[in-house]
Amino acid sequence: MRIGAAPLLRSPAVRVLSVAIVVLAMCRPAAAGWGSKPDPVPDWALTAAKIPTPAYARDSGSVILSDEYVETIDDQGRATEREREAIRILQPQGRHVACSVGYDVDEKIDSFREWTITADGKTFPAQETDFVDKGVDTGVPVMLVAEKMREVRPPAADVGATVLCESEEQVAPYEREKVWQIQTGVPFVFEALEVDLPPGRPHAESWHRYAPVKAVQVAPNHWRWEIHDMQKLDLRDVKASPDWDALAARMSVSWDDIAVAGKDNQWRAWGAWYTNLEEHRSDPTPEITAKAQQLVAGAPDFYTRVKNITEYIQNNVQYFVVERGIGGIQSHYAGDIFRNRYGDCKDKTTLLIAMLQAAGIRAFYVPVDDRRGVVDPDAPSMYGDHMITAIEIPADVKDARLEAVAAGKDGKRYLIFDPTNERTPAGNLPSYLQGGYGILSAGADSQLIALPLLGPDTNGTQRKGSFVLSADGALTGTVVTSHSGPEGADFRMFLKYTDDTERNNFWEKYVSRDLPGVTLNSFSFIQPPSLDKPMEFHYSVAVPQYAQTVGPLLLVRARVVGEDAVPFDDEPRTVPISLDATGRWRDSFDIALPPGYVVDEMPDPIDVETSFASYHSSVSAKGNVLHYQREYVVRQVELPATEAAAFRKLESAILFDEKGAVVLKKQPAQ
Amino acid sequence: MRPRTLLQCAVVSLVAVSPLLACAQFQTPNPDELKMTSDPKAPGAAAVYLDIEEIDNDPLHYQSYYERIKVLTEKGKELATVELPYLRGDWKVTDIKARTIHSDGTVIPLEGKPEDLLSVKRGDFQVGRKVFTLPSVEVGSVIEYSYDIRYDDNHFSSPTWDIQKPYFVHKAHYQFTPFKAFMSGTVDHSTSMYLTDSRDRPINSLIWRRKLPAGTDVKPDIGGQYTVNVTDVPPIPDEEWMPPIESYLYRVEFYYMAASTPGDFWVNEAKYWSKDVDHFAEPTKAIRAAVSGIVAPGDSEQDKARKLYTAVEALDNTDYSRTKSASEMKELKIKVAKRAEDTWNQKSGSSDDIALLYLAMLRAAGLTAYPMKVEDRSQGLFDLSYMNFDQLDITLVVATIDGKEVILDPGEKMCPFGRLNWRHAETRGIRESEKGMSVMNTPPEAYNQNTVTRTADLSLDAHGGVTGSLMVVMTGQQALQWRQTAIENDMTEVKKSFDRSLADIMPDGTEGHIDHFLGIDDPNSNLIAICTVKGSLGTATARRLLLPAFFFETRGQVPFVKQEKRQEQVDMRYGSLVTDEVTYALPVGMTMEGAPQDSKVAWAGHAVFVVKTQSALGKLTVVDIVARGFALANPDDYQQLRGFYQKVAATDQQELVLDTATVAKGN
Repeated sequence: MRIGAAPLLRSPAVRVLSVAIVVLAMCRPAAAGWGSKPDPVPDWALTAAKIPTPAYARDSGSVILSDEYVETIDDQGRATEREREAIRILQPQGRHVACSVGYDVDEKIDSFREWTITADGKTFPAQETDFVDKGVDTGVPVMLVAEKMREVRPPAADVGATVLCESEEQVAPYEREKVWQIQTGVPFVFEALEVDLPPGRPHAESWHRYAPVKAVQVAPNHWRWEIHDMQKLDLRDVKASPDWDALAARMSVSWDDIAVAGKDNQWRAWGAWYTNLEEHRSDPTPEITAKAQQLVAGAPDFYTRVKNITEYIQNNVQYFVVERGIGGIQSHYAGDIFRNRYGDCKDKTTLLIAMLQAAGIRAFYVPVDDRRGVVDPDAPSMYGDHMITAIEIPADVKDARLEAVAAGKDGKRYLIFDPTNERTPAGNLPSYLQGGYGILSAGADSQLIALPLLGPDTNGTQRKGSFVLSADGALTGTVVTSHSGPEGADFRMFLKYTDDTERNNFWEKYVSRDLPGVTLNSFSFIQPPSLDKPMEFHYSVAVPQYAQTVGPLLLVRARVVGEDAVPFDDEPRTVPISLDATGRWRDSFDIALPPGYVVDEMPDPIDVETSFASYHSSVSAKGNVLHYQREYVVRQVELPATEAAAFRKLESAILFDEKGAVVLKKQPAQ
Repeated sequence: MRPRTLLQCAVVSLVAVSPLLACAQFQTPNPDELKMTSDPKAPGAAAVYLDIEEIDNDPLHYQSYYERIKVLTEKGKELATVELPYLRGDWKVTDIKARTIHSDGTVIPLEGKPEDLLSVKRGDFQVGRKVFTLPSVEVGSVIEYSYDIRYDDNHFSSPTWDIQKPYFVHKAHYQFTPFKAFMSGTVDHSTSMYLTDSRDRPINSLIWRRKLPAGTDVKPDIGGQYTVNVTDVPPIPDEEWMPPIESYLYRVEFYYMAASTPGDFWVNEAKYWSKDVDHFAEPTKAIRAAVSGIVAPGDSEQDKARKLYTAVEALDNTDYSRTKSASEMKELKIKVAKRAEDTWNQKSGSSDDIALLYLAMLRAAGLTAYPMKVEDRSQGLFDLSYMNFDQLDITLVVATIDGKEVILDPGEKMCPFGRLNWRHAETRGIRESEKGMSVMNTPPEAYNQNTVTRTADLSLDAHGGVTGSLMVVMTGQQALQWRQTAIENDMTEVKKSFDRSLADIMPDGTEGHIDHFLGIDDPNSNLIAICTVKGSLGTATARRLLLPAFFFETRGQVPFVKQEKRQEQVDMRYGSLVTDEVTYALPVGMTMEGAPQDSKVAWAGHAVFVVKTQSALGKLTVVDIVARGFALANPDDYQQLRGFYQKVAATDQQELVLDTATVAKGN
C-alpha cells in the first residue's frame, strides 16, 4: 500500500471540512511548546545560557551546559520527572541537537517546552509545529515497541546558540528506579539529580564507573547529587573496545522495596521484585506439560532432558515481540507463547521455565545485558536488555557436557542458557554473555551471579586445506573448516537467515579477502541436527596468481586462508581491551610445490605466550610439500588497559605471521 | 447516512458482478502445496507467493488484500510478520484475518488483536502501522492473510500495484474499480461532487502506467473495472552495485488526472513549472542591481557566468547548513522566498532557490540561460510514463556561454564551475529552451576529471618499519565530497573521517594521519591532504625483507561476485583515475632483489590498470594507475568487468623482495 497515494481532490464536502478545520485551528491557544501557552524564557534557562563554554568542549559538536532532573515520588511510589537541559551548539555538526521525551502507554507528558537563545541574544520559543511524535524504531523487523518519542527540532539551532528544554512527565507506575546517564557522547559542564520522596520512604543509590558523589538533603527526604565537568565518551576510533554502555558512567537511584542497604541485599531485592512480576507467567498448562513430558520421555539423563526441551524451544519458537508498557519487562503467559510459538527473550525464558518445570526441573529468570560489562556487580540495578535462564542442576548430577555452570551463593549450581540464541546448545553459552553478570531471580533466594567464562575448548574453528601450486603461481585446492561452540552457532544462524545465492556470495567475498581473484569452484556445508556437534564448510578454490614470481623466486604465503589478527594501534590505551570470545583456532595447510622449485627461505616459527592468550605457528617442508600450522588460544574475554603492550605484541606477531611468505627458488636445470 | 446506504448497495452489486472478490476468502489447503519442500520455479527460494489478490474499489472507498505464502526455509519465516502502514484519521485497516497451515494440514488461526503502532505524528498528520505475526509458523507452513482498508467518503484513491515482490509469485490478481466521474467521456449523475487538482483543473481522466511481464497487460472491461492477472513473476532482483531498483520493477500505477495521456501530463506540468520558475527567476530591478555589483560591463560571458556562480555559491545553502523552521521565520519576520531577489536579500536559500537565483542573475547579465530539472541518479531514473513531477528533484541551469551550452550545478555547494555532482550527471530531465520544453540528458563526468593521486615518500628500516609523508591530491567528486563534509562538520571531525578513510586503504600494521588540508575552501583548486605515515610493513626473513608492492591496496574490496547471468546494470557512480606513487628510501646496504614487472591490465574501452617500478641507488618507486572510464556497465559486460577486477586484485598482491644480507652484516 502506498501512503498518501490519494491525489489532493476537492469536493464541496471537502471544502466544508477544510473550513471546519480552520475554525478549530483558530480556537486553539497559540503555543510555545507542546500543550502550553508561550512562556518567557524562565530564569533557570537564562542562568544556564550564561555558562561559558569550557576549553575541553571546544572539539565537540555541542556541550551540555546544564542538565537537571527532579524525580518526585508520590505515596504510591510513582515518579514524576522534570528535566531542564541547556545545550550549546559549538560546531556545524552540533546543529542536529534535539530534545526528546520518551513515553509509553502508562506514561504521560505533562509539558514540554523549548527556547533557543542565539549567539546574538535573540530568543526563539519552539512552536507546536516544531514538535513531532515518532514511534521508536528498533531497527529489527520482529522487535517492535509501542514506545514513542516526542521530539522538538529547536528553531534557530545554529552554531553559538543555546537550546533550552524543559519537560515534565509522569513515569510508568511500575518503575522503581531512575537510571541517570551521567556520561554521554557530549561533555557536560554541570548536571544534577534530585529525588524527592514521601516522608519515611527509603532510597538506595549505585554508581557505575564513577566515584560515588555524596547526596545533599535539600529538604526532608529530598536528595540532590551534583556533578561538574564530565568528559564525553567517544570510542569511535578505539580498537577492540568493550561496548560503549559498559564504559559510560551512570548512576541509579531506586526507591521503595528495592531500596535496601548493602549491594547483596539490593541485588536480592531486584531479583525478588522480578520474580514477583513474573509470578504465574511460567505456570505450565496441560498442553505444555504434555509436550514437555513427551520430549523427555526416555531421556537417559538430566542433560538429555534439558537438551530435548531447550532444542525444542530453539527450533520452534520464533522471535517476535511488540512491547507495550509493562510488556517491556514482563513476559506473556506460557500458555499463550506455547500456542502462538513466538515471543521475545522473556517469553522464551518463560516457556522454557514452564516446560522444564513440567519435566521436574527447576529454572529461573536471569535478567542480563548482552553487552558484557553493562551489568556491574558494584551497581545494583535492573539496567539491562536481555533475559536468559538459570536451570538448577541437581546436586547428584555430574556431567562434563554441562559446561556453562554458575555457582550460587548457597552452593547450588545453575546451568546458564540463552533460549533466544537459537543455535548455541544447552551446556554451552554465547560468547557475549560469558564473563558478565545476571540477576538470578529466585524470590527470596535471588542474587547476582557471575556468568561463566568457558575454556578455550568450548569454542573455535579448525581449518584444514590441501593445495597444489603451479609454477605460474596458480593455486588450487580444497578447504574444510569446522566450527564449534558459539562460533559454530554464529555460522548456523548465518545459514538460517540466508538463501543459496546469499551464502555463495558471502563466502566468495569472505574467501577473497585472503585470496584476491579467487574462483569458488564448489561450496557446501554439513550442519548436524544436534547443536552440540560442530558444523563444517567444504569448499574448493582456484586462484590464478596466488604465488608471486619475482625474478627467479616464487613467493608463497604459507597461511592460505583465515584471519585471526584484530585491528590495533599504538595510541595510548585508557579503556579495557575486548577479546570478544575465548576459544581455540587451529589451521593446517599443505601446499604441494611445483616441480623444480625448492625452499630458499622460510619464516621463523612464532611462539607467543601471555596470561590471556597464546599463539604458535610454524612452516616446514617435507619433500615437495610445504606444511603450515598454527594454533591461537584465547583464555580471557577482556583485559585491563595496562595489558595494552602485551596485546599489541600478540597482535603484531599474528599479523606478521599471517603475512609471512616462503621464498621458493627455481633449481637450475640438471 | 447517504454514504452508508450507498456502501451497502454497492457491496451487493459488486459481489454480483465480481465473483473474484468473493475469492478473497481463505482457500482450502492444496495437498501438493502443503507437501512441497522446494519450488522448481524458484530454486533455493526461502518462500514463494502462491496467491496474491488486491481489489481496489474507489466508489466504495475500500481496498482488499489477500496473500497466501509457502514458507520453504527458516529464512522464509520472516514473512510471518506483517506490517500494514496506513494514514491515521480517515483511513482504517479492518477485518484482518490470518492463519497458518502446517504441512500436515493443521490450521492455526490468528487470535488476538493486531498491534496498532504510531510511526509519526506531526500536528493532525499521523501515520500508523498495524502489525501482527502469524502463529506457529514452521518451515513448510502455508501462511495466509487478508485485510481491508477503508477510507473516508471525502477521499479518493487510485491504486499502485507492486507486482514484483521479494519472492517468486505464482499467481496474482489485481482489480480496480475507479470512480466513473473521473473517467474520460463519462458523465456520472450519481454524485454532485466535482473534483479538481491542486491547480484547480477538473479531474476527468483515468490514466495508468504499467511495467509488466511480457504478454501481460491491464485489461479494462465494460463494467468499468481494470484487471491484471499475472503468473510466474520473478522476484525483485537483489544484486550488488545495482542502479536504484525501484525504477525497474514491475508495477502498475493508476492516476486520476486532469490530463488524458502521459504526454498531456508532461506538457501541462512542464508549462506550469516553466511559468513558476520564470516568475521566480525574473531578473527584477533588485537582481539587476545585485548583478551590476558583481560583474563589470566589459566582462566576457565566461567571466560573468563564473563571477555570478561564485557569488551564489557563497550564499548560505540551507541544504548543507539548516533550514529555518516556520516558527523561526515568523519570529524573524522572514518570508518564504517567492522571488530570486528574496533569496539574494536573505543571503540564504535551498539548493533549488540558489540555482534559480543564478538563473535570474545570468539573465540579468544578458546571458541566455534556462532551467533544467533532473532526477538524482542515486534515487531513480526519470521516467516519462510515471506521472509525478516530484521525481525531478534537482534544479540545474543550462547557460549559453560563448555560443556553447553548458550545464551548471550552482545548488551543489562547493561544486566547481562547469562540473556536476555525479548524482546529477548521466541522468535525464526536462529543460526550458527557446523552442519550449524538451527532455534532455546530462553528460557523464569525464573519468580524468575525478582524480586521486597519492604520493608517499617513505623511509624503510631493516625490519620493515616505515615512516614518511603522504600527499593526497584530489579533484572532482572526491574533492567535492570532502569539501561538503567540511561544511557540515568542524575540521577535527573532518580529519578523523579522513584518517578512517586512510585506514581502509593502507596495509595492516601501518597508520596514516592527516596533518592539514590545502584548498578545502576553494572548489576551483585541487584539494590536497598532507599526511604522515608510520608503522610496520611487510615481513623479514633471515636474508630478505618482503613488502607489499602496492602500499595502497584494494584489500578486501574485490567487488564483484560470480554471477552466471547479471540482470541489472552495474552502477559505479562515476568514472575515475587513481594514481599511486610510493617511493621507499632503503637503508644503506639494502638492495632490491625483485619487484613487479611493468605491466598493464586492460579492459578495452572501459578500464586499465598500469604498473611501473623504478629503482635507483637507495630508492625504489612503485607507480600504479587505475583508470575507469565508465560509471554504468551493461549486464552483458559483467563477466568482463569481473574479470578485470579479478586481475587487478590478484596483481595487487605482488611483493617487493629486498635483500637485507648486507644490512645484517653491517649491524
